[in-house]
Amino acid sequence: MWSSLKDILRDDWAWRSQIHNLGMFELKKKSRGAALGWLWFFVKPALYIFVFWFALEIGLRSGSKDPSAPPYLLWLSAGLIPWFFMQAMLNAGTDVFHKHAYLVNKIKFPLGSIPLIDIVSSGVIQLGLLLALFVMYFACGQPVDVYLLQVPLVWAAMVLFFYVFSLMASCMCAFSKDVKNLIASLTTPFFWLSGIIFDMSAIDIPAVKAVMLFNPITSLTTASRAAFYDKYWIWESPEVCLGFAAVFAVTLLMALFVYKRTRSEVADVL
Amino acid sequence: MSCNDQVMIRFDHVTKSYRLYSNDRDRLIDIFRGEKHSKAKKVNAVSDLSFTIRRGEAIAFLGHNGAGKSTTLKMVTGVAQPSSGTVDVNGRVCALLELTAGFNRNLTGRENIHLRGQAVGMSPEEIAELEPKVVKFADLGSYIDQPVRTYSSGMKARLGFAFAVNSDPEILVVDEALSVGDKRFRKKCLRRIRHIMEDENVTVLFVTHASATAQEFCTRGIVLEHGRLRYDGPLDDAIRIYEKSLDED
Repeated sequence: MWSSLKDILRDDWAWRSQIHNLGMFELKKKSRGAALGWLWFFVKPALYIFVFWFALEIGLRSGSKDPSAPPYLLWLSAGLIPWFFMQAMLNAGTDVFHKHAYLVNKIKFPLGSIPLIDIVSSGVIQLGLLLALFVMYFACGQPVDVYLLQVPLVWAAMVLFFYVFSLMASCMCAFSKDVKNLIASLTTPFFWLSGIIFDMSAIDIPAVKAVMLFNPITSLTTASRAAFYDKYWIWESPEVCLGFAAVFAVTLLMALFVYKRTRSEVADVL
Repeated sequence: MSCNDQVMIRFDHVTKSYRLYSNDRDRLIDIFRGEKHSKAKKVNAVSDLSFTIRRGEAIAFLGHNGAGKSTTLKMVTGVAQPSSGTVDVNGRVCALLELTAGFNRNLTGRENIHLRGQAVGMSPEEIAELEPKVVKFADLGSYIDQPVRTYSSGMKARLGFAFAVNSDPEILVVDEALSVGDKRFRKKCLRRIRHIMEDENVTVLFVTHASATAQEFCTRGIVLEHGRLRYDGPLDDAIRIYEKSLDED
């Protein structure tokens, strides 16, 4: 199993420039045909954030009652912006072998590296959004502090987790549409359940809290907010880190197992 | 040892089996099931196939439908993995099979040249060198800068062929059933293939049902039957054996 991991990492490194270029082509494909092109990658998230801000703060009056607290908009964005990446990975990233079938059964391309193409294309958009989040952060008059140092760590953990997840899901999706349908029907529920638009720590049902420790979407959102809004080190809540680490380890083992079992047959079944 | 003795392709006791399932549920569950409990029916598309091909050889693969020709070629191109045995391929393989697969409909012809070049692992310099050659050979006029979705099927095939033959292959795989564009372009293609084949450094694998075209190009023939090697040797003998097997059925 570890030799599979070594193979995957070696291929990733050897093919890094192709992966990067194919990822950029992915963006080119998506922006083609629209006069505004690249702008659309950011218009949709901006509208999303606006609508939720309007519904939640103006409409439902959630948000802090403390007037000295940073704006609710910042809290919301610190959760929604990483979610946009996770959403992209849950949609496009779960069935990459069908999506890039040509790379699987027409030319020789390392199977384990194919998920990275969509990670690059979604990652570029995510970087732009992250930049926007920083602009918003400083525009709200927030200080430069040490807690911001967590940002690269949290985002790296997110990318890594979704690479492993995408590899696992795609291997299974190549063989069965059930997995694809399952993930597609879970994406929206996960958005509402994972505490992206409400504060998970405010829930006082211990069982719910315990279960949500094993929801990586919650962990990543919590960590992002720890850096941008709540201002603490995420390892000050060790249960969040341990929960995430456990899920990550299980997903990694599953992904390697499934990859090992299916890699030589994926090209035959597409 | 001269460079013409260099081994380009070596198949060593290669078997490729496909797993067939009666339904998709079994296929999914089988990922997690041990080999012993597998519900798959295994079918050998290629069994225990061994041969060696040296640089500069031109070889005809003869066989009926389902004899294992396509599977063998898929393993040469590196797309399919053998179930057992080893496949060694040295050098850039270029396959004239399913030429139009993989073009992106929304990108222009020129962008697709770049996309495909990157996908097969060319450097930016190689692609820059290749692009004008492909554009010239495909001869699509100003359509080269239009999205591929506006192309006719003939135009797409021309672009695919132009890319394949200009990418400087060391091993060329040609499917005889190849039909590209109109008569004039087809002639141009055949001329081009002939030209490539004359280069003694290029190894050619020619897939065919019929024998007339094979005789024109090849000297050695490999006859496959039900996934097994029936004959490997001089082309004339190979054709005789292949044609005899046609009468047997």
